[in-house]
Amino acid sequence: MRFLRYLLTLAVLALLVSFAWTLDRYATGMLTRILIIGLLAVSVALLTGVAGLPTLGQTAPFLVGAYTTANLIEHGHTIGVVHLLAAAGMGAAFALITAPLVVYARGVVVLMITLALGELTSTLAGRWKSVTHGTDGISVFTSVTPLPGLADLDTESSRYIYTLAVVGVLVGVVLLVLRSPAGALLRATRDDARRMRASGHPVAGYLTVAYVAAGALAGVAGALLFTEQSYVSPGDGGFDVAALILLAVVIGGATSMVGALIGAGLVVATRDWVAEAGHAPLLLGLLFIACVYLLPNGLLGDHAALSYLNRLVRPRSRPAPPSGPPPAARIPAPRAPAAADETVSEPVSEPGAAR
Amino acid sequence: MDAYLIPAVDGVAYGLLLFVVAAGLTLAFGVGDVLNLAHGTLFAFGAYAAAKISDGSWGSLALAVLVGTAAAGLGGALLSLLLTPLAGRGHLAQALLTFGVALVAGDRLTAMFGKDELALTVPKSLDRPVDLAGHSYPGYRLALIIVAALIAAALFVVVSRSRAGHFVRATVDDREMVAMLGVSPFTVRTSVLAGAGALAGLAGALGAPIIGAGPRTADLVLMLSLVVVVLGGMGSIAGALVAAIAVGEIQTIGVANPDLSTIAPFVLFGAMALALAARARGLLPSGRSA
Amino acid sequence: MFLPRRLVSIALATGLVLAGAGCAKDDDKSGSAGAASTLKIGFLGSLSGTYQAVGTDLKNGFELYLKMHDGKLGGHPIDLKIGDEGDGAQTAVPAATKLVKEEGVIAMTGIVGGGSVAAVAPLLAQAKIPLIGSNGRPELKDLNGVWTTSFMSSDPGQSIAQYIKDKVNGPVFAIGPDYQGGYDEVGGFTTEFAKIGGQLANPGGKTLWTPFPQTTNFLPFFSQIKSSGAKAVYTFYAGKAAIDFVKQYKQSDIKDLPLYGAFLTEGSVLQAEGDAAKDVFTTCNYSPDLDNEENRKFVAAWRQQFPDATPTTYAVASYDAAAVLDRAIAAAGSNVTAETINEQVAKLGQISSPRGQWQFGKNHAPVQKWYLRQVRADGRALANTLVQDLATVGQ
Repeated sequence: MRFLRYLLTLAVLALLVSFAWTLDRYATGMLTRILIIGLLAVSVALLTGVAGLPTLGQTAPFLVGAYTTANLIEHGHTIGVVHLLAAAGMGAAFALITAPLVVYARGVVVLMITLALGELTSTLAGRWKSVTHGTDGISVFTSVTPLPGLADLDTESSRYIYTLAVVGVLVGVVLLVLRSPAGALLRATRDDARRMRASGHPVAGYLTVAYVAAGALAGVAGALLFTEQSYVSPGDGGFDVAALILLAVVIGGATSMVGALIGAGLVVATRDWVAEAGHAPLLLGLLFIACVYLLPNGLLGDHAALSYLNRLVRPRSRPAPPSGPPPAARIPAPRAPAAADETVSEPVSEPGAAR
Repeated sequence: MDAYLIPAVDGVAYGLLLFVVAAGLTLAFGVGDVLNLAHGTLFAFGAYAAAKISDGSWGSLALAVLVGTAAAGLGGALLSLLLTPLAGRGHLAQALLTFGVALVAGDRLTAMFGKDELALTVPKSLDRPVDLAGHSYPGYRLALIIVAALIAAALFVVVSRSRAGHFVRATVDDREMVAMLGVSPFTVRTSVLAGAGALAGLAGALGAPIIGAGPRTADLVLMLSLVVVVLGGMGSIAGALVAAIAVGEIQTIGVANPDLSTIAPFVLFGAMALALAARARGLLPSGRSA
Repeated sequence: MFLPRRLVSIALATGLVLAGAGCAKDDDKSGSAGAASTLKIGFLGSLSGTYQAVGTDLKNGFELYLKMHDGKLGGHPIDLKIGDEGDGAQTAVPAATKLVKEEGVIAMTGIVGGGSVAAVAPLLAQAKIPLIGSNGRPELKDLNGVWTTSFMSSDPGQSIAQYIKDKVNGPVFAIGPDYQGGYDEVGGFTTEFAKIGGQLANPGGKTLWTPFPQTTNFLPFFSQIKSSGAKAVYTFYAGKAAIDFVKQYKQSDIKDLPLYGAFLTEGSVLQAEGDAAKDVFTTCNYSPDLDNEENRKFVAAWRQQFPDATPTTYAVASYDAAAVLDRAIAAAGSNVTAETINEQVAKLGQISSPRGQWQFGKNHAPVQKWYLRQVRADGRALANTLVQDLATVGQ
């Protein structure tokens, strides 16, 4: 079974790589955008689905990363790896500064706080002209070099391959971490923060780590955005973008990183390609509505976890124990290796996941 | 100080207008337990009605107010119907659904009324400056202050004196208790959302000459009223009034003073984030549902 | 248990990327075209938002020229691909990217906002596609491939500075929208005004910028102007922002201060402003009353097509952009490419336009005369009435 899984993963990756040679410029460009928005969606899913912090604010570190890259390129630094590291660092720093506002709240309050943070960041991006050039945005058409000695990313397909490589590696790392004890601790915090706190876990600390990591991922996505479109403006991180990404994550099932990528694909394809003749808001709106009615758990969501999420988002509903395994079974003792990972729908009771 | 008289008055005009919109949003949240992200769109219903119907005569303005209020009220009731299958799914599902509805309705509105910002015509006799302690001030805005203050007063009377208002206050305090009294949650939600929608439509029809009628209107109004609702304590009408006036003043005095104008754009959402975070950490008395 | 879910996800992913792929590889769209092959020209303009009126005029001007020439430029049938610039660079860049990368246009025209031009120009430079812009035009580092048929955005302000200096007895307040186009338009005035010894009423001599496009309430700004002790106001707004500005101005504390501006009352906004626009002074490089043959032809065709609208400087510049492309494509002969069009535009020399003869200067923008107009009642309607000649500007 596991072998089959790897084989399929490899086949999908090979197919994705092959697109660099088989698609026209516009389709390649759209796939690149899907991967970038997909990475941003992964950072949102990490917070919304895994850490239990539903967010509309990951566009903020996304903008921070994009503007960091834009400024680096403007000052003549064109090495891609430098951009990625700097953008990740600035995205993480942004998250670290704002974490005290976010990690103590729950549910819809997090949604509103992060919405405010996103608005503040895009307002700042429109006002801090010496760094951002105001609402006109920064436009520098200088090709990026991934590493010293490598060729410039001056074609659509080379930028696609670069983006695919970065997003692929980062999503792989996220999946590995979520399988590790760290991931289990995060899920346990989401499921019952009080119990975790009672058993001596630094809950706010765990959530801060997750929030900072998600900030770094969003920052990298911002760097990739600037590499792809050679342009950034406050509008790249507006409320509409944040809402679209939340939709992508909900479509994907909130707890699933692969789901988030697929959701991003659906949403971006709807916006940029299906809705070519206009009316993108109409189609996206219908997608929102259909998704809420028809996919209460998303495409790949962890059903049990999502019932926790619904409970979190609505703190006043009856405190009845959710269906599924009792929370206690999911909480690892500090340091004990744990089981559940996002590829498993029924944690712990799933023999294949016990390793 | 005299230099800030007009901005201060203008802030009251803005604030009262915002209050009428935000009162609807806060009622929908406090009483109907609905986080309605389509509320700004209901305002746009009223705004477009005014842009299309009002042609400078009093009758046309009255008709625009009537049409805008009715359309937005119906829209609110329709939202309640759409929300019925989501019982027990929480605010996130509501937020997504109402946002989806807002996108669809926004697309239909631009299909009907075009993608540009529409110009507004106000009644001829109000379309002139009036004297205010030696300053000139647009007559329409002065009239708006009076009308919005009357609406606000009427709202307070309804909520504090009438039987319906009694239920409203009781529901804000303890929803389960009221549910046990045998009032169907569907009826409560539908009437509250229809009422909230009507308030938004009314504000839209009256306020379009100040806030505008175009594709950006819905988002702008939603954001401002969310800030008002949060700062006002989520569910409190009196709190919303104070917060709305404060937001109005920040948008006028904050702009009129060159020193404040650098920070004014950040005050609204900064205050919103801090208020929510403080409440989440237990530093403020816990509002309901927060 | 997990296999089906895995399969679902992979099937979905595969389906999605395949769907996203859409079309097969189809490069070399923009190679050289044969004798009378159809050419794709990209038009970018604000068809939504604050500047919708301006963008629509640009589109109408270009399409009117096409219509008057059987839909052909330089003998080639033209497939005009339209993109919506929206409120500025944020929407202009994605729209331009699409025109360049998906449609494979051979040249680009239009573009309302100076900020949009600054943001789109590098994209076009990278793709080596010439821009025959017809409205906003900031200073650019790299002029190669950028041509402007309207004016430098700083020209209108520069042209009227001396007149205001002579007429206004006291300091002048400068206010404008907070984006590139605003900086250029108002900056053109303040720079020239300072050079000839004029004094600004603005505190610290700094122009007051209003957030763009979201500002609809100008009253708080007017309070600032009132307390500055200004004797007159210079500004630049167009489209819906101009309507709000002018209407609120005439009901505010500064309603009696003379108002000078660029484009404040140009085109359809004048009707919406109504009596509030009375007496406003603007500078412009065109008037429908100009007496030359090209203008008579243009105005007649315009009135036939749009009986209710006065022809504007926006429409004229876009009409001229079509004329420039017409002559350049014809001159490129059998080898029409983005590069040859660009080479031929550089060699055009004098261009006959409804505003008279002009040619591209060092800035790749026209050297031309500017006129002062004032809004006055013309019969029952209001009109921008020619008052006098201002300066000739350009280099």
